[in-house]
Amino acid sequence: MSIISLRNLTKTYQMGDNTVHALRSVSLDVEQGEFVTIIGPSGSGKSTMMHILGCLDRPTSGQFLLNGRDVSALPRDELAGIRNKQIGFVFQGFNLLPRTTALENVEVPLLYNRPAVPAAERHKRAMAALTSMGLGQRAHHHPSQLSGGQQQRVAISRALVNEPSLILADEPTGNLDTKTSIEVMALLQELREKRTITVVLITHDMDVARYGTRIVSIRDGQIVSDKANAPMRAAEVMTPRSVVNG
Amino acid sequence: MMPLGHCLALTLGALKRNRLQTVLAIVGMGVGVGALVTSVALGRGAQQAINDQLRAAGANVIVVTAGNYLQGGGNVGTHEGGELMGTPNGPKSGEDGTSHMSYRGMGAPWGGRFIKVHEEDDPFAVHDHPTAAQRLGDSMAGLGAAATLTRKDADAIRAMSGVQYVASSIQEDQRLKVLVEGEEKTWFTYMRGTDDTLPMIRTGWVFPRGAFFTADDVKASRQVMVLGRVAADHLFGHDANPVGQTVLLWNQKFTVVGVLGSRSWAAQPTPGDHEFDAFYIPITTVQKLLDLGKLNTITLTTYSVGDTTQIAREVVDLLRQRHKINARMPDDFTVRTEAQLAIGHGLPPDVARVLAGNMAGMDQITIGRIADSLKRANNTMLTLLAGVATVSLLVGGIGIMNILLLSVTERTREIGLRVAVGAQRSDVIMQFVGEAVLLSVVGGLLGTAVGALASGSLEKLFKYSIDISIASSLAAIAVAAVLGIIFGVYPARRAAGLDPIEALHHE
Repeated sequence: MSIISLRNLTKTYQMGDNTVHALRSVSLDVEQGEFVTIIGPSGSGKSTMMHILGCLDRPTSGQFLLNGRDVSALPRDELAGIRNKQIGFVFQGFNLLPRTTALENVEVPLLYNRPAVPAAERHKRAMAALTSMGLGQRAHHHPSQLSGGQQQRVAISRALVNEPSLILADEPTGNLDTKTSIEVMALLQELREKRTITVVLITHDMDVARYGTRIVSIRDGQIVSDKANAPMRAAEVMTPRSVVNG
Repeated sequence: MMPLGHCLALTLGALKRNRLQTVLAIVGMGVGVGALVTSVALGRGAQQAINDQLRAAGANVIVVTAGNYLQGGGNVGTHEGGELMGTPNGPKSGEDGTSHMSYRGMGAPWGGRFIKVHEEDDPFAVHDHPTAAQRLGDSMAGLGAAATLTRKDADAIRAMSGVQYVASSIQEDQRLKVLVEGEEKTWFTYMRGTDDTLPMIRTGWVFPRGAFFTADDVKASRQVMVLGRVAADHLFGHDANPVGQTVLLWNQKFTVVGVLGSRSWAAQPTPGDHEFDAFYIPITTVQKLLDLGKLNTITLTTYSVGDTTQIAREVVDLLRQRHKINARMPDDFTVRTEAQLAIGHGLPPDVARVLAGNMAGMDQITIGRIADSLKRANNTMLTLLAGVATVSLLVGGIGIMNILLLSVTERTREIGLRVAVGAQRSDVIMQFVGEAVLLSVVGGLLGTAVGALASGSLEKLFKYSIDISIASSLAAIAVAAVLGIIFGVYPARRAAGLDPIEALHHE
């Protein structure tokens, strides 16, 4: 069973008198454990696709099956539940809460679990997620006290804390320098390889797209190419030492 | 639902980031709540002051006197008359009309002490009950009046609803004797055998030495005595402490337990005033020593000044029933409210006569009415103050709404993130309403403290009468919390309604 299955997905926006066709009958299947990079220039519809894949938006027509369940017409609060449990987000701007420790930031998704997770349990799980990202020592630092790479690792910890089956990364390296970008890509590759978490990454940068096992190009709301890729090994590109020091 | 602890931590964090606005919002709410607390304290204080003063003035006191000093026709003081004093429409009997008017005009039952006229005192009258002269011992009760009141009557009155304190009394003039340093001193003064409850009724009384006798003293018929200031001064010398000394009455030894003085400058002890030129002993002692069964007066107070007139009517009904007086017969007792007594008080007898004789409803426009209008005026004031307080509360609430709206705008990205990672509408609403409630409750606490402080200083500096109650403070904080919810809902709904995609890309 595909983890993601898009069937003739269409999304249109009304902008004044104009109708904008952001996605035009897109069909796509992503299997468990794939690392799919979606690449396209701005205005290609990749962000819209990302929002629909992330259950933040609903398609105008067509179907979106997530883990076999049609989520294209679910009410808002149910979508929130799905985002909470099944999807981990990694954003370009990290979106960490300022003046809040790394640990508390990682706990945020746990706050919205239903049924509620007790505080001690939240703490333990957040700490475990941070430790797995090599940030156990930085748990009580505020984002402003962390480097960009460390901040993104906190964000990845947050995305992982509810053990989702899918990580959606939206330009995760957009705000990072090359070296740090490679480290983040190495982490994402590791997630796929060691935990078989499906990663869907959206970028406009072909260098970043090359780390995926499959590259989907999108233009004017349509998929123009979709091919398997022998991924570049981020861990081999960088020196092992830099993973530890961030 | 978000755990409360995290909600609180989150809220505190957010508020810390907007310190100035937070402080201003709290101050705004604090001023509102403070104004509310202060105005309620002032209003309640004023209400209580009015009540206290009216009680001290005796507005809630009813005096039942044995015998009916109003002579004449069957309509006088009868039940159908509907009046406590009797009807003013002249004598129907036609005989001795002038005296009829004049006796009624005496107003106070004390007045009757000087001109003793009762049906029983008319040598030609035919009575259907034993007269005072025939009732052995009762003539000793003083005043020579019909002794128609009993302790049982007093008990029945005590059982009525709305009645606060009841004291039964026997009074007459008596000679007191003391031996001071071998020298015998006597003072002819006014005896009052009464209950231990009398000081509760006479709220203007203080005891500079000792205290009034107790319920135990009454129960055990002890030979104890409380001396009025004037009597004490005459017997023992000015400002001497007679407590513990022995006084002779009817050649019986009485121990002085207290000296009675006046709280008010308006009622200074003067010789012959029957209050401070007097002495008080347990009524049971009088009854035992004199072998008396009857009372001269029953004095009672009502809980509410407003009920006094009504309860006076009920006492008339009760006693008529108890004394088995049929509708045609006049009362064998007199019920007066202190307000009625006050009309005649201090007036020349002629004027008092005219007043009381011609204005039957006079008592109703006295203290009771004044009490009502004072209360109405105070209520108007209270309403005004509460109005001002409500406006300040609204301003405080709007301040809170303002800071929350600002907060929603500033934290759009945060809200977007929370929604993206699974926060539902209710979670976001809870968070912002929680902030509003926290702000307003802190403001409310601050306001209550400020209000208490302000009321306290008003009391200290300007001698305002203040009554701060815990209930009203809690109510003020609750009002603040409710306002917080009301004014927090709009910003919270705005936050919850944000599109997470736009919110995440908000700069």
